[in-house]
Amino acid sequence: MTFEIIDTDVLVVGAGGAGCRAAIASSEADLDITVITKDILGKAHTVMAEGGINAALANLDPDDLCEIHGRDTCSAGAFLNNQNLVEILVEDAPKRVYDLENFGAIFSRTPDGLIMQRPFGHQTYRRTCYAGDRTGHEVLATLTEELRRREINIIDEVFATSLLTKETRVVGISVVDIRTGNFKVFRAPSVIMAAGGAGRIYDVTTNAQADVGSGYALAYKAGVELIDMEQFQFHPTGAAIPPAARGRLVTEGVRGEGGILLNKVGERFMIRYNPRSMELAGRDEVARSIATEIREGRGTENEAVYLDVSFLPTKIIEERLPTMLEDFLDIGIDIRNEPMEVTPTAHHVMGGIKIDASAATNLPGLYAAGEVAGGVHGGNRLGGNALAAGQVFGKIAGGSAAKYAATAQSPSLNRRAINEEYERVMAPLQREDGLSPSMETKQLQRVMWDRAGLFRNEQDLNAALQFINDHQKQITSQLAVRNKATRYNTEWINALELQDMLLVAEMFVRSALLRKESRGAHYRTDYPSLDNKNWFTNIMVAKHNGKMTLQNTSVVVTKWPPPWT
Amino acid sequence: MAKKQKVQFRIQRFNPDIDDEPTYVTFKVPYSDRQGVLDALHYIFQNLDSTLAYRWNCRTGQCGSCAIDINGIPGLACRTVVDPSKQYTLEPLFNFPIIRDLVVDLGPGFRRLEKLRPYLERTSAPDRPEKLTREEISAAMELRSCIECFSCYAACPAVASAKQEFPGPIAMRELASFEFDPRDQGDRVQLAVTSGLYDCTSCGICKEVCIPKHIDTRRTAVEGLRALAVERGMGPLEGHQGFIKQIESTGYAVDVKSTPLTDQLPDVIDVDDPVDEVLFYPGCLINLRIQQVGLNVVEVLKRNKVRVHIPKDFVCCTSVAFRTGARAIASEMVIQNTDYFRKLGVNKVVGLCPGCMSTIKQDWPIILHEKDKPPYDFEPFDINEYLVDQLGFERFNQQDLKPLPIRVVYHDPCHLNRHQGISEEPRKLLRMIPKIEFIDVEDSDRCCGAGGGVRAGRRELSQEIARIKYEILSEVKPDVIATSCSFCFIQLVDVVKNSNSDIRVMNITDLLAASYRGESLK
Ligand SMILES: Cc1cc2nc3c(=O)[nH]c(=O)nc-3n(C[C@H](O)[C@H](O)[C@H](O)COP(=O)(O)OP(=O)(O)OC[C@H]3O[C@@H](n4cnc5c(N)ncnc54)[C@H](O)[C@@H]3O)c2cc1C
Ligand code: SF4
Ligand code: SF4
Ligand code: FES
Repeated sequence: MTFEIIDTDVLVVGAGGAGCRAAIASSEADLDITVITKDILGKAHTVMAEGGINAALANLDPDDLCEIHGRDTCSAGAFLNNQNLVEILVEDAPKRVYDLENFGAIFSRTPDGLIMQRPFGHQTYRRTCYAGDRTGHEVLATLTEELRRREINIIDEVFATSLLTKETRVVGISVVDIRTGNFKVFRAPSVIMAAGGAGRIYDVTTNAQADVGSGYALAYKAGVELIDMEQFQFHPTGAAIPPAARGRLVTEGVRGEGGILLNKVGERFMIRYNPRSMELAGRDEVARSIATEIREGRGTENEAVYLDVSFLPTKIIEERLPTMLEDFLDIGIDIRNEPMEVTPTAHHVMGGIKIDASAATNLPGLYAAGEVAGGVHGGNRLGGNALAAGQVFGKIAGGSAAKYAATAQSPSLNRRAINEEYERVMAPLQREDGLSPSMETKQLQRVMWDRAGLFRNEQDLNAALQFINDHQKQITSQLAVRNKATRYNTEWINALELQDMLLVAEMFVRSALLRKESRGAHYRTDYPSLDNKNWFTNIMVAKHNGKMTLQNTSVVVTKWPPPWT
Repeated sequence: MAKKQKVQFRIQRFNPDIDDEPTYVTFKVPYSDRQGVLDALHYIFQNLDSTLAYRWNCRTGQCGSCAIDINGIPGLACRTVVDPSKQYTLEPLFNFPIIRDLVVDLGPGFRRLEKLRPYLERTSAPDRPEKLTREEISAAMELRSCIECFSCYAACPAVASAKQEFPGPIAMRELASFEFDPRDQGDRVQLAVTSGLYDCTSCGICKEVCIPKHIDTRRTAVEGLRALAVERGMGPLEGHQGFIKQIESTGYAVDVKSTPLTDQLPDVIDVDDPVDEVLFYPGCLINLRIQQVGLNVVEVLKRNKVRVHIPKDFVCCTSVAFRTGARAIASEMVIQNTDYFRKLGVNKVVGLCPGCMSTIKQDWPIILHEKDKPPYDFEPFDINEYLVDQLGFERFNQQDLKPLPIRVVYHDPCHLNRHQGISEEPRKLLRMIPKIEFIDVEDSDRCCGAGGGVRAGRRELSQEIARIKYEILSEVKPDVIATSCSFCFIQLVDVVKNSNSDIRVMNITDLLAASYRGESLK
């Protein structure tokens, strides 16, 4: 078998906020930088972030400090956060926001002309910098402009299938060029993994289609350690229709402005769950209340509940919720007159590849940043911290990777491993008959939603694990792509993604099974309370002797001791 | 159970590895409530044909991946709601090479953008924090909201015809976003002028297809940059200078070659028992070049018992000045006209030329406001709008219309259709003429290439755009191409002549007048 080999010094997988920031940092060195992305530059999931990016600039609340940002982050994370990383996050965030301004970003302003900051859930002060309701878009558009300025080489629509290693270091990656279907190898002394999250593992999600979690899977397969994989955030309100946009984020602002939640029979059900705070109860609680209504048959035909603002004065809706109004109008729903239908929706992976303060993983030459990296957010993420973490650790990863590449020996490839990978990648395309990738994917998403979602228990999680393991076996031998063309064959790419998704699902489920308590976003109906005595610990996942192995490791605490210690 | 309603999707298929040329395949997709075009594509992919290639990512109108041609108009598949009473044709975005099926290579668009130094240029970074007021940044912020879906680029007639030269509305928007950014020190205007700033025909389709962000590239970016170009002595083009000079010296955009319409008519044209009274604003072309068109308007009004004032001392509406950026001269003329109309004391102004009328409706108020003048106290109407909506269908004189057994195709003037939202009225009038055979073609609203100063400044490009339009219109073998614009009229007359065709070009009012007079046009 022959394949094209492309050499580069630093290879970045993913062109979201984190990957782009990493590439910019690497380009400070006189090295050859290449970014590959499964989608197109500027179109990564990061564009969808609406709310903002946290940095303790204290523009509105002069008492805000990095310290306090750190405390808020750890308290939201149920103190599972690696506080070394949190310290870096909160201290560097302001500098990275200013970097963005230097690159050309325009944030909304205070009346005095400073960067505007909004209050965001569970934060002591107004700290979340924003650009209208399209902060992620402003961030990514700016980084895109900066990449163009630096003439960094970006290759669109290339799908990474595996990390290549030799003698316990990374030596490159294998890819399928989606546009031609060609299998290729990038040889590089350093690789930065910035492939984003995995919301697509669930049936209902806020995430873009690209977020299937390949980054976690590729890392795992290469022997990299991951952490906190049981911590997955669900958002209480996602749009239920249209089908293609099921799960799309409906902002908290709707409830903030007075929107009420009603079940199928018109009952304002929050009164049964939290009569004091009602719709403004915590994210997790509202999400679980909605899910309970739906589970117990009080949801609408579209497996949803109603979120209603139609009783509010029209003017308030038009002035304070213009984007929501327009978005729903576009699909033929006028929220001034009729309720929205909403459902909880899978939102964010807090866990991920374990990194140290230099964004290095346990595999020499491999760095990680952005949603694919774990440890910063602990058990739950503050709104606005994901974009910040992407910028902060993206820059660090870029710098570290460049430094490593400058001194590392030039990598050599393991041809046998590449041949095996080639066989694996081509198999579903060559198989004449078998399981359909899109049907199998749907099944997995449904099982994860039902059994390993908002509510978890031993039995459901075991059932999910059983499903995953059965399917892993079947799929390697039976998945078949009906579309045989190599050019832009999305069915084939889906087949490869499904294999990654099953691995990630397994990490989620095994970690969730192990944690026999409820902490952060992880909620066990059979262990509904916090158990600091036994479970104040991180769970690490890695492959040992070909088997998925879990291990408890102690939490890194520096400045913000948990209240119970 | 009632059988599920199905919607038909005709989809262009093409795999350059194996096919010689694109083909179309039709799929029937069960309709579901609030279904989007992207839902339909998913349904086809998952249930009918997994070889279909299409692109998407965010599915919420935020990433710009899913833009395709939907019934001939670029749009986002994820933001287009299916109308079950319609049939759909889905094609890849126009103006791009096809990778496969509905997936195009956006590379050429990106490459043109990349050449324009599309990033903030400043010599040194300021101290932080940097202060920027809300007012300073609002224009740039709006333009920065573009999601690079390239719908506008795909729809732009200038991109299609200027080939390598015009980087498109998306690029003009990008340049303007930096020009209007108080921090940027690059010379964006110069770059815009050398990159086709004067290729834009101001057709306005770029705004119409910018469903994601409603960016009005023509008005904000193109005309904003053109105004700065003129201010800095870099514009307008040579071909425009003549018109501007002409306005400066005579008050009209063109010179006098034959007796002006205003000299052929009395101050007021009286009718018995008038039902209404209007001022007819002819504009330069009708007054000085195509007077018969004006006489026909007057005839139609007369037949409908409307008393008509002829403004002997009107001056140019300065549409050409607005469109090319020469705003200084524009202000002067606007004030002169509005003062004059006030003196005449008529409260309805009717015109045929949509270039004039949209300028009067949209640009004059801005100038008056800028110059601290009171707003004008008349109502401006396009002639079709006036006849159908103001005078009203019931009062319209139908009984005197005599049969015109001819085949007619209609061309929507951009300044009428898009800039004033008038497209049904001219069609209603056409259909009223007995025995006329009216054919409505799909691309009736495609630009003819005359506007935005392109006819004057970029003759070749203008003719190329007109040629494409002519092909669309002539394909149905009409006797007459109807329109309602003096500018489109002369443009179409030229292209018909250059094509050695015997198709006639007429305005709606020309046809109505001919029908009233009982002429035979065969
Ligand atoms: C609706 C929504 C709203 C949000 N709002 C906020 C907010 O207000 N504030 C905040 O801080 N956070 C917010 N978040 C979270 C935040 O947007 C994400 O966590 C963050 O953008 C992730 O950035 P990233 O760079 O890590 O990855 P992404 O932006 O997801 O980019 C991943 C990149 O990796 C590429 N990729 C993936 N797999 C492969 C592969 N196999 N081969 C090649 N390339 C690959 C993708 O193509 C893409 O380019 C929100 C999330 C959602 C869903
Ligand atoms: S107004 Fe028409 S010609 Fe001008 S940029 Fe927009 S689409 Fe192109
Ligand atoms: S200006 Fe509008 S239509 Fe054009 S690329 Fe940007 S978002 Fe799309
Ligand atoms: S899929 Fe992102 S805009 Fe349609």
